[in-house]
Amino acid sequence: MNPFSISMLGRGLVLIALLLATTGSFAGYLAGSRRDRRAWLYARNAAYGFSASMIGANLLMIYALVTKDFSVKYVTQVGSLATPPLISVVSLWSSLEGSILFWGGILGVYVALTVWSLGEKHKEFAPWALHVLLAISVFFAFLIASVADPFHYVPNPPMDGPGPNPLLQNHWLMAVHPPMLYLGYVGMSVPFSLICAALLAGRFESGWMGPVRNWMLIPWTFLSFGIMLGGWWSYAVLGWGGAWAWDPVENASFHPWLTGTAFLHSAMVLQRRGRMRDWTLVLGMATFLLTLLGTFMTRSGVFNSVHSFTQSSIGPVFLVFIAVVFLYSVLLLAFRSHLLDEEAEQVAQSIGTRGGGGGRSILSREIAIAVQNVLFAMFAFTVLLGTLFPLIVEWTQGRQLSVGEPYFDRWGLPLGLGITFMMGVGPALPWGRHDPAAATRRLGPAVVVGIVFAGFWGALGYTKPFTLLALFTIGFALWANLHEFVEPVWARMKARQEPMHLAMSRVFVRARRRFGGHTAHYGVLFAVFALALTKGYRAEKDFTMTVGETVDFDSYQVTYAGYENVDEGFRTAEVANFHVVRNGREVGTFGPRMNHYPTQMQPIVTPAIHERPTGDLYFSLIDIGTNNGGQKVVVRMIHQPYQMWLWFSAPIIALGTLISLWPERERGRSASRSPAPHVVAGSAK
Amino acid sequence: MSSSQTKVKWPILVGGLAVVGALVLVLASGFGIDPKYIPTATVGHEAATFRLKDLQGNVIDFESLRGRPVVLNFWSTWCGPCKMEHPVLQNEPQHYPDVTFLGALYSDEADAARRFLASSRGGRPLALPYPTLVDPDGRLALDYGVSGVPETYFINRDGRIVHKHIAPIDPPTLLACIELARAQGEVAPQAVAACDPERAR
Repeated sequence: MNPFSISMLGRGLVLIALLLATTGSFAGYLAGSRRDRRAWLYARNAAYGFSASMIGANLLMIYALVTKDFSVKYVTQVGSLATPPLISVVSLWSSLEGSILFWGGILGVYVALTVWSLGEKHKEFAPWALHVLLAISVFFAFLIASVADPFHYVPNPPMDGPGPNPLLQNHWLMAVHPPMLYLGYVGMSVPFSLICAALLAGRFESGWMGPVRNWMLIPWTFLSFGIMLGGWWSYAVLGWGGAWAWDPVENASFHPWLTGTAFLHSAMVLQRRGRMRDWTLVLGMATFLLTLLGTFMTRSGVFNSVHSFTQSSIGPVFLVFIAVVFLYSVLLLAFRSHLLDEEAEQVAQSIGTRGGGGGRSILSREIAIAVQNVLFAMFAFTVLLGTLFPLIVEWTQGRQLSVGEPYFDRWGLPLGLGITFMMGVGPALPWGRHDPAAATRRLGPAVVVGIVFAGFWGALGYTKPFTLLALFTIGFALWANLHEFVEPVWARMKARQEPMHLAMSRVFVRARRRFGGHTAHYGVLFAVFALALTKGYRAEKDFTMTVGETVDFDSYQVTYAGYENVDEGFRTAEVANFHVVRNGREVGTFGPRMNHYPTQMQPIVTPAIHERPTGDLYFSLIDIGTNNGGQKVVVRMIHQPYQMWLWFSAPIIALGTLISLWPERERGRSASRSPAPHVVAGSAK
Repeated sequence: MSSSQTKVKWPILVGGLAVVGALVLVLASGFGIDPKYIPTATVGHEAATFRLKDLQGNVIDFESLRGRPVVLNFWSTWCGPCKMEHPVLQNEPQHYPDVTFLGALYSDEADAARRFLASSRGGRPLALPYPTLVDPDGRLALDYGVSGVPETYFINRDGRIVHKHIAPIDPPTLLACIELARAQGEVAPQAVAACDPERAR
């Protein structure tokens, strides 16, 4: 074997990464327990070295895929001479071994960014954080070096390979959706490590919660994006006209999103009021564990899904890892969290307050967040139970069963609406104070706006009870969040005679983090709005049409213009063209198709969509009738009202995150880095 | 780690360990299951009889085939994987003189199939050594429970479907499944495993 072959170089890099992660994790432990500076410096350098090796191994694999080096095992699995270069790059994550390597590469990026962002700050916690983060890296480097080795050398390389999974080649979104999800999944290891660091150090104050929350916010945003793009891909590729099917692997990405969202809120209570500490830590750790569970679901072959890879030996190894991390988390919480309680007690006594100061109050923001947290936890548990239930039944009773949409809808709808409602209640209530008059003053107008909003859509014909309830909560929450911005602007304009733009920019700068949170809320409201209307008012009908025939569907007149065969090199397609007219005006021609890939047994039905803000017209072929030369087709037409608004949600959420995370100027920094923010008892906001 | 006398939060410890144990057990129970495995309703039952014309116009009656194992392969000219298994189906039948091989055209035009079988690739003719049935309205595929192509059905001497193979077939699987169709009475588990590992499990 050529010592400079890609196989050898790749394996070398992975082994170096494994060595550096192992020694770095150990050095992190020494640095944490003995305050040994040399060990700390070694741990940092080893972390950077791990990152460089992992990123290098990924770049090497991309090079092998693009140059079609069939002496590398992974290239023989997913490479093909006919595959265009861009799809060759994307095929890095199209199959099991490559996706684990990609996972390792992203972990490398996160490790480097974590070390860089911690710098020389937080010296008490940083070595512990690195110890845990590099221990996680050890596992992934080990996986890549052993059971999921993509660089395995093929002594007699084949002339050509099968190419990547056709579903991956069928839409550009496949180049974006998996990386976004991976950035979300892998990134959760950082807040997990930071939480473990606090428990290992036995301290939690000194502004440690700030980095923990920020490091949760980043992967959480990627996860939100990944989930939304997955929905978009499903809608644009799979041909059934929906974005979410409660598929086990979709659920797997939803679990950590739910617990992560709950964490982002309870962390605020912990930061400001010093309460919900154990609960917040449990949520943060559970979020990482649920991402591991999600990875297990896609990689083990235990769950049936459009995402699953075939059965592999990774499953048992991964399960052992999940068990170890889970056990470690439980032991850490059970044996170390009392140290944080004692520390908080001491801080509270030293400044003369207990438990964060101020009595408990029903109508305070922390109680609203606690209620919302309970709803999130119930939602996560419900979805998890529905996902695992088929496995439990098969195990205990030996029969196959699937838990479908009705179960998830029945529970998801009320819980989702409850959360949306609390999204309006929370921002309207003050921290730590029970002020019914103020609450009524703030929530009253929001209720009125909710009723008017629902009434408006009701007048347009959307009168189903659950749709109206959803629209009410959207109007309610929208106003409650907007009001939090409008009120201080208005107050400044009145009190200081400032012009509106100046008052707005000052309020924005002063309450930037809060404004970022509200912006993320608007993004979620967009999603709820689209889901409420598409769920309640989707219309679909199957038509058998002959060439030249026109049918009426919704407000459209659709004519079947004919059939054509298209050869695109790496695939062939049968395309049925439909000419669409609406209210006498030309809309265009749409060509839903059946794509045939050389290695795929079944054709892949690919829909065509006419997208409008008020609703999409969706064509999906059922039968193209090749027997009669395409003279007769069976096509499903779907009208999805306000579907497009769902796609806006993730960019708005990302904008909110960006606003929240944007580095503060020094003046603001010193204010927000106060040693124990929660001891500022009774502060309203 | 700072030293402190050990205080344990028992609810977290006990609750956490219970959840870890339950989750690991449930997930571990899933190993070995193929979640994509769907038992075919027609397998194990009497094969549907038919009387259909082949591509040459000769009528083939299922009843006349009784007493011999039958291999019935559904294919079409537009299916890539069918082309992958084509050389196997061209070469292997000569090794099984006691078995009747039949093709069945799935969702395709008879003319396209005739043109395909009359053509050659790389100087090698693509003709099959056995007839292909024309199934104009797809009734045969429906009766057998075809979900896609290629699919190969193995029918024993009594006219019972013993196995359906989904995906391109290779010579060892073909041999194992023919053994299953040839067998009379109880079949050894090893024979089932060679042809259909999932059912054997």
